[in-house]
Amino acid sequence: MANSVRLQKFQQVELADGRTVTVVDKLGEGGQGVVYRVKFDDTGEEKALKWYFVSYFKEPRKFYAHLEDNIQVGAPSAAFIWPKQLTKWIDGESFGYIMDIIPNGYESFSKFLNVIVKFKSVKAMVNAALNIVAAFKALHNKGYNYQDLNDGNFSIDPATGKVLICDNDNVVGHGQQSGISGKARYMAPEVVRGEKQPDKNTDRYSLAVILFRLFAVDHPLEGKRTNVPALTDKYDKRFFGTQPLFIFDKNDSSNAPVPVPGLHQNAVTMWKYFPSFVKEAFQQSFSQDSLINIKGRLLEQDWFNILMRLKSSIVKCPQCGEEIFLESDRETICKSHKIKPVGYLNFTRRSNQAVTVPIFKDAVLYDYHVSGSEDFETVAAVILEKPGKFGLENKSSNTWFITLPNGKSVTKKPGEVLGLGVDSKIDFGNNIVATVVAN
Amino acid sequence: MGMLDKVETMRRMCPVIFLLDTSGSMNGAPIGAVNSAIEGVLPELIAMNSGNSDNEIKVGIMSFDYGANWITGDELVSPEDLKASWKDLDAAGLTKMGEAFHDLNKKLSVSHGFMNRASGSVAPVLFLLSDGEPTDDYQAGLNELKNNNWYKVAAKVAIGYGDSNDDVLREFTGNVETVLHTNNPEDLRKMIRFVAITSSRVASTGSNAPDNSNPDDNTVKVSKAIQAQGGALAPADASDGGW
Ligand SMILES: Nc1ncnc2c1ncn2[C@@H]1O[C@H](COP(=O)(O)OP(=O)(O)O)[C@@H](O)[C@H]1O
Ligand SMILES: [Zn+2]
Repeated sequence: MANSVRLQKFQQVELADGRTVTVVDKLGEGGQGVVYRVKFDDTGEEKALKWYFVSYFKEPRKFYAHLEDNIQVGAPSAAFIWPKQLTKWIDGESFGYIMDIIPNGYESFSKFLNVIVKFKSVKAMVNAALNIVAAFKALHNKGYNYQDLNDGNFSIDPATGKVLICDNDNVVGHGQQSGISGKARYMAPEVVRGEKQPDKNTDRYSLAVILFRLFAVDHPLEGKRTNVPALTDKYDKRFFGTQPLFIFDKNDSSNAPVPVPGLHQNAVTMWKYFPSFVKEAFQQSFSQDSLINIKGRLLEQDWFNILMRLKSSIVKCPQCGEEIFLESDRETICKSHKIKPVGYLNFTRRSNQAVTVPIFKDAVLYDYHVSGSEDFETVAAVILEKPGKFGLENKSSNTWFITLPNGKSVTKKPGEVLGLGVDSKIDFGNNIVATVVAN
Repeated sequence: MGMLDKVETMRRMCPVIFLLDTSGSMNGAPIGAVNSAIEGVLPELIAMNSGNSDNEIKVGIMSFDYGANWITGDELVSPEDLKASWKDLDAAGLTKMGEAFHDLNKKLSVSHGFMNRASGSVAPVLFLLSDGEPTDDYQAGLNELKNNNWYKVAAKVAIGYGDSNDDVLREFTGNVETVLHTNNPEDLRKMIRFVAITSSRVASTGSNAPDNSNPDDNTVKVSKAIQAQGGALAPADASDGGW
């Protein structure tokens, strides 16, 4: 046998296009195969090679053809470490595919969950959530679904929140099946119950679990009720399939977090930091209607708007200096410090989600806010504070047109600062208008 | 303290328990192979733990000869701690496998054994190694074990060396395909390593291989992984192994 179950160092493997690579070392190993670092023999370029345990496949030729299709269609976005080339098909032997190597600086999401790695800033944490949502939107827009979304699939840069999505081999087109049902605790309840095969809608459940754990580490369905000594498949089916219950369910506290050191502590802490609209988003995502009746799951676009609102709510507590999420229209409590902004900028709703930014020192507006784009990195405006008044500095490249309550209008060019007065309307161009609302 | 200062959370425990025959006949190369295999497995288990956010592998090692002796003490230990404290096993004495089963049964208990963990525990790996005929009433111990619910759901694997009675090993695993045999010390080292790592990975990650039709039959899951990954290794009795 030329190509065995495992490859050896210095072993040469032929690709489908006739080029060859040589095995350098092993990068990792999963349930479906081994990932090696390989070097192209002609260019010397280093890549990763996923090499399957081929006998896991009932129909290996079909899986090979499926990978061929995905390679042809291409990656949904730059965030995906997508299969690039297949190894040559040889009847009865193992095969694999070439992909980019995950660069330095990225850490597996599992390490964040094990608290071996932590986010360097609140902004990086929110950016990671936005990047994940944006990637899945691109994936679904391309007509794919992921099927096996779990913490092992993401690598994240803790300093910037940049995300890479690996392990894309089970991604399939709408209506197709990879044969993989997913990883326990990330599978949608209807998949666990055996009612449904993975699809776009089950991906959305898994996405909500990923987002919850990104912020809160703990699992959204693990509380008092799931705290049993023997977690066999029978219990997994009950807790994650037939009788799932969110630990912060609005109507039923029987699966509330357990106040024991080491259990659910992060979830309890994080829940206090979440503003009301994020709590509501998770309560809806993990409502009984979503878990049992498969209804009301948030779309990627919903999450995107919610997370943008969250990103623009990041400010420092004036009393202790800690980074917090500040509510726009109500009081936020940071430990014993009560903080309420004087008002907020109220934008037109987007896909039925409120878009607001609290009027508070250093709150930031992004290109998303002023041009209607999905750019959540480019700063478009910053809120400044002077004793007794607030201003909005134009950091965009557009001139703003402001209508004051008395009917007068003013313009603010890039670099200028607008003093924020109640009931002013700011026209940012592109049909984007925000109103200054006082609390 | 802010929202970025997460505390480590207790994962579910995935116990990996070795029952190692240290009877006199294991003396020399075979026990040497066992020692170096276990030493080689521990770093792999450490790496598995760092990448697994669901379950944490904890290890128990029992040697049995004149009697049963838990090397790792009254509680399961982390692979890191075991690596730091590991001392080579010596081989001398009888093969009191019945006593080993009896003692394992006692420890597979939440109230007075290893399985007490606030975050719960998933099905354990039970790994049995022997090189000879049991010298006591193994059946009595095994019968106790067969009534133990942890034993029932466990991923059970065994390796027979030299003159081992592989029928007894098969009775322990309840699956012919998770009993492997060798007569060569170098193969023994590789086999222990392969079987221990494969079964630990399956038990701690749950197999997401397609066609996972048997819930809670973790021995079957491991047997599939052994077949898929172990190309070169034959089960102890290939004739009824279905290969
Ligand atoms: N592109 C890559 N670059 C570097 N390491 C990788 C890459 N892909 C996978 N790995 C490593 O290999 C391990 C197993 O790969 P994975 O595809 O997750 O396996 P499986 O899907 O079979 O569980 C990963 O945990 C990671 O450490
Ligand atoms: Zn404060």
